[in-house]
Amino acid sequence: MSEQRIPLLEVRNLKKHFISGSKLTGRKVLAAVDGIDFVIYKGETFGLVGESGCGKTTAGRTICRLYNPTAGEIIFDGEDVAKLDERKLKSFRKRVQMIFQDPYASLNTRMTVTDIISEGLEANRMLSGEKEKTRIYELLDLVGLKREHASRYPHEFSGGQRQRIGIARTLAVEPELIICDEPISALDVSIQAQIVNMLEDLQTEFGLTYLFIAHDLSMVRHISDRIGVMYLGKMMEVADSDELYIHPYHPYTQSLLSSIPVPDPRENAKNKRIVLEGEIMSPINPKPGCRFAPRCRYAKDVCRSETPVLREISKDHTIACHLAEEINSGI
Amino acid sequence: MSILLEVINLHTSFFTHQGEVKAVRGLSFVLEHGEILGIVGESGSGKSVSSMSLIGLVDEPGKIIQGSVLFDGKELVGLPKKELENIRGKEISMIFQDPMTSLNPVFRIGSQIVEVIMRHTQITRVDAEKKAVDLLELVGIPEAKDRIKSYPHQFSGGMRQRAMIAMAISCDPKLLIADEPTTALDVTIQAQILELMRDLNKKLNTSVILITHDLGVVAETCDKVIVMYGGMVMENASVLELFDNPQHPYTRGLMKSVPKDVSGTRTRLEPIAGTPPDLLKPPPGCPFSPRCPHTMEICIQEAAPMFKITDTQSASCWLHHKKAPSVLNYIKTTEEVDS
Amino acid sequence: MTKKDFEFIDSSKKLDKEQIRPSLKYWEDVWRRLKKNKLAMVGIIGIVLITLTAIFGPLLTRYTYYEQRNEFINTPPVLQIYQIEEDAYIYLTKQYYLLLVTEKGELVERLEETSSNTTLRLKTYDYLGEEILINYTYKFSTDPAYKNIDFSVTYKDVETFEKTKSVLNRTYPFGSDSLGRDVMTRVMYGARISLTVALVATIVNLLIGVTYGAISGLEGGKIDNVMMRIVDIINSIPLLLYVILLMVWLNNRGLWTIIITLGSVYWVGMARLVRGQVLSLKNQEFVLAARMLGVSKTKIIYRHLVPNAMGSIIVAMTMMIPTAVFTESFLSFIGLGVSAPQASWGTLASDALGGLTNYPYQLFFPAFAIALTMLAFNFLGDGLRTALDPRLRKG
Repeated sequence: MSEQRIPLLEVRNLKKHFISGSKLTGRKVLAAVDGIDFVIYKGETFGLVGESGCGKTTAGRTICRLYNPTAGEIIFDGEDVAKLDERKLKSFRKRVQMIFQDPYASLNTRMTVTDIISEGLEANRMLSGEKEKTRIYELLDLVGLKREHASRYPHEFSGGQRQRIGIARTLAVEPELIICDEPISALDVSIQAQIVNMLEDLQTEFGLTYLFIAHDLSMVRHISDRIGVMYLGKMMEVADSDELYIHPYHPYTQSLLSSIPVPDPRENAKNKRIVLEGEIMSPINPKPGCRFAPRCRYAKDVCRSETPVLREISKDHTIACHLAEEINSGI
Repeated sequence: MSILLEVINLHTSFFTHQGEVKAVRGLSFVLEHGEILGIVGESGSGKSVSSMSLIGLVDEPGKIIQGSVLFDGKELVGLPKKELENIRGKEISMIFQDPMTSLNPVFRIGSQIVEVIMRHTQITRVDAEKKAVDLLELVGIPEAKDRIKSYPHQFSGGMRQRAMIAMAISCDPKLLIADEPTTALDVTIQAQILELMRDLNKKLNTSVILITHDLGVVAETCDKVIVMYGGMVMENASVLELFDNPQHPYTRGLMKSVPKDVSGTRTRLEPIAGTPPDLLKPPPGCPFSPRCPHTMEICIQEAAPMFKITDTQSASCWLHHKKAPSVLNYIKTTEEVDS
Repeated sequence: MTKKDFEFIDSSKKLDKEQIRPSLKYWEDVWRRLKKNKLAMVGIIGIVLITLTAIFGPLLTRYTYYEQRNEFINTPPVLQIYQIEEDAYIYLTKQYYLLLVTEKGELVERLEETSSNTTLRLKTYDYLGEEILINYTYKFSTDPAYKNIDFSVTYKDVETFEKTKSVLNRTYPFGSDSLGRDVMTRVMYGARISLTVALVATIVNLLIGVTYGAISGLEGGKIDNVMMRIVDIINSIPLLLYVILLMVWLNNRGLWTIIITLGSVYWVGMARLVRGQVLSLKNQEFVLAARMLGVSKTKIIYRHLVPNAMGSIIVAMTMMIPTAVFTESFLSFIGLGVSAPQASWGTLASDALGGLTNYPYQLFFPAFAIALTMLAFNFLGDGLRTALDPRLRKG
C-alpha cells in the first residue's frame, strides 16, 4: 500500500555542541548531536532510540528550539526554523509541543490543573472565559481525568495522572507534532501501557505526528512506525520499526537488540547475546571516524579514519557503516 | 538443596504523622542455597521495603511489626543491632539501584572494598588489598590493579555497579540482595551486569534475591519468582511456571501490558485499569480487587489465602476456590499453603 | 462461604475507589514542620510581642517619648532609698540631686539644695523645713571601714550609712535619660522606627533584588555577566561611605535617607540568591514546558520561577531584617540616623554613651532590644530554612 507520505519534519545535518572551558584552560566541545539527518512523515510515529549520552534528548530539544542548534536545518512544514529568532517562532511554538519525562518535575506544583492547562491557551490567546473552561473539561476528559480534578494541585496526583495532565497541557494548543521525551520511563509498568494506548488513540483522533524518544526498546518498537538509532551524537541506522528488529544491519543495533531481556525464559535461553566490550566513548572533543569503532568487533582502519554517512542499504532502510554489506553477507 | 532463608508472614509498617503506612502485609517465602529469587512489583508493592526488612535496614518511622526471618536457622527479626551489623556485609550483602549514592565519593574504590573486608574478616591489610584487586578482576573491571586507586566518579555507571558487586561479594556472602541493580543502567550494560550475577551465582553458589519491575530481567535471570502487589504476595512460582501458566490476574495483567515481539500486526496493549493502591488506606480484602477484571464479592471482604497450584506454584486469588466460577484456565484447588 | 460470595461484582463498584488523597499543601506542610522547632516558635512569639509593643506600647505608657522633666533626669530603674520619716524616703542621684521618693518607688519631687561645700564634701537639702545633710567624703576615703559607703545621710541628727532598701523605679520603669525622658517609652517608640526602617528596606530589597536576580538568571550569557558585575561593584563600596555621600547629596538626615540607603544597597544579596535559584530552576521541565507553550518571559519569571524560589526568598528576607535593624542602629549610633527628639534604638544607644559609667542602664535597654529583635528573627529564619528544605518534603 503506497500512501502519499508528506514529510512534516526534516532534519538535515543537525548539530548541537556545548562548549565549555576557555582558550586558557582548553576548550572542551561536547558534541551532543553531531550531524544527524532524518525525516518524519505526517501522521506517523518516529522512534528515536539510543543509550545514555547518545544525544537523543538533546536532539529532541534542539528540534523544538529549546536549545539553539549549532548548525544544520530543521525544516518544519517546508520552513527552516533552525535560525529564526524567538519572535518569529511564535507560530512554530504552537505547532510543535513536547511531553516530558519526569511527571514530578514537569508540572509547576504551585499551579492548579486548570492553570497548568490554560496557560498555553492564554499565552496563545486562544480562548477565554466560559469557552476556555469548557475546553479544559474537554481536555481532561480526553486524557481520562475528571472535572473535579481541575481545581487540584499536582502533588495530589499519582505519576501516571500527572503525565496525563502534562499531555492535556500539550493538546490544549492543538499541536501537529509532539516530541515525546521518554514519557513513560518514570511510570509503573501497568501505567505505561495505559499512557501508550492513550497516545495512540489521540494520534488517531487528531492526526498527530510523534517523535518518540525512549530507551525502552520493546515499547519503542510497539509504538513506532519508523525508528532511528543514535550513538554518541550520530545517527547509525534508520528503518521501519519491524524491519529494524528483524534485519538490523548496523553492528551497534545488533548488539542493542540482542541485549533486550525478553519476558520469556525460553526465548532468553535461545538468544545469543552480543556483549559489547569496553565502555561508551566520551562525546567530548570527538575525533574523526566512526563513533562506534572502539567497541565494534568488525572495525577496520577505514572505520577509524573516515566518518561513515547514512546511506540506503535496502528500501527505506539507511545505515551509517562502511562494512554493512560485509558484516551482513549471511543475511 | 537446603533452605538458606525462610521468611514467615512478615509485616512492616511506617508510622508517619498521617497514619500507619502498611508497606508489607504478610510476606512468606523460602529460598534455597544457590537459588536466584526474583521479587517483581511496581511502586507501592512493598518489594524494596521487604528486602530492607530482611537485613534490618528499616529505620524510624518504619518497623517490622510481625513475622520472622530465619537465615540459616537463625532468627533475624529482633536481633540486636551489633549482631545484624556482623551479618550484613559478611553473610548477607546488598546492592542498590544507584551506585553513585552507595559509594562514598571521597574514598577510593580500593579502600572502600578493603574496609568491608577488614570489617568482617581477620586478614591483614596487604592481603585485603590483594583480594580487592582479585575481586575487581572477577567482576570484569579491566586493569584492576590500576583502577583500584580510582574514585567513584571516575567510573562509569556500569563499572560502579560492578564495583558495588565486588564489595558485596568480598566476604563470600551466602545471600546477595540486589534492589533494582540495573534499572538505572543502559540496556547493553544491564545485559553485562545480569550475566555477571548469573556467573557469580554459578561459581560461588551465592543465593540471590533480585528485586525488579522488569519481567524481562526476571525471565532471564531468576529461578523462581514472587509477584507482589500492595504489600502482599500475589503469586509465587518457578520462572517457567510463571511465564507459561500465570495463575493470578495481576500477573496476567502485567504480562499483557508489556509489548511482545510481534511483527506485522500492531496489537494493542492491554493495560490494567486504575492505579496502584494507597498504602495508608489499603482496600479491604485483596489489594488488587479495585483493578481486577474478575473481582467477586468475597474479594473485597477478605484477602485470599495462598492456594497451592503445584509443588512450586501458588497464588493468592479466590478464583482458585472451588466455589468460584470457572474463568479461563485458573486452576481450582482446595490445597492451601500454610503460612 | 456461600455461593453468593463468589459472584462477580459490578465494575462500577470498583473504580470509584480511585480517589486522590489530598496530601498536605506546601505551606501546611511547612507550618507543621516549623511548629516542631521550639526555637522558631520562640522566635515567632518574640516577633509578635515586639511588634505589638512597638505599635501599642507608646500609647499605653504615661509619657510621650519627648516629654522632659528636668527634676528627674538620670534616674535608674532600681533606686537605693533611705528612710527619713515614716512615709518619706530619699534617693540621691549620681549628680547629687536629692529626690523625694515614696516607699513603693514613686518619684515625688526634687528637694531644693540649700548649701554645698565642695571642700568638706557636704551638701544640705531642705525637706519641709528640716535639713538633710549629705556627707560624701566617704566616697573618697581610704579607710577600709568605709570601703562600700559613698555617703551618709544625716537627718534630725541621725546619721545613716546604709540604705533602707532597694526598690524599683515606679515612675520610670527603665529609668530616665539625661533630659528626664522615660527610657521605656523611648525604647518602645524606638522599636517603631527600627522595625519600620527594617521592614521597608527589606521590602524594597525584595522587589528590586528578586526582579534583578530573576532577569539576570533567566537571560544568562552576556546580560547575566554584565548585571552580575554591576552587583559586584555595588557590593564593594563601603556602606558608610555610601551613606555619607547619599546624605550629602540628599541634603537631609533622617528616616527616609536611611530607608533609601538600605534599600539601594542590600538588594544585591537577594539578587545573587534569586539568580542562583533561577539558574537551577530554569532547566526544570515545567519551565521548559512553559517556554514551549510560548509563555512570555515576564510570566515565566513571576508565575514559575519566583514562586518556586519562594522558600529561599522568605528565609533570606527573614534573615535580612535583623541585619537591617542592626545597620540602622549602627548608623544612628554614629550620628547618621534620625534626629532628635525622634529616637531609634541606635540614637538611644548613642545618647547613652556619654553617661555610660554612671548610667549604664541607658545603654542596656536599647541594646537589649536590638539583641532580642535580632535573635527572634534569626531563630525564625533558621527554623524556616529547615522547614523549607525540599529534601525533607515528599513529592
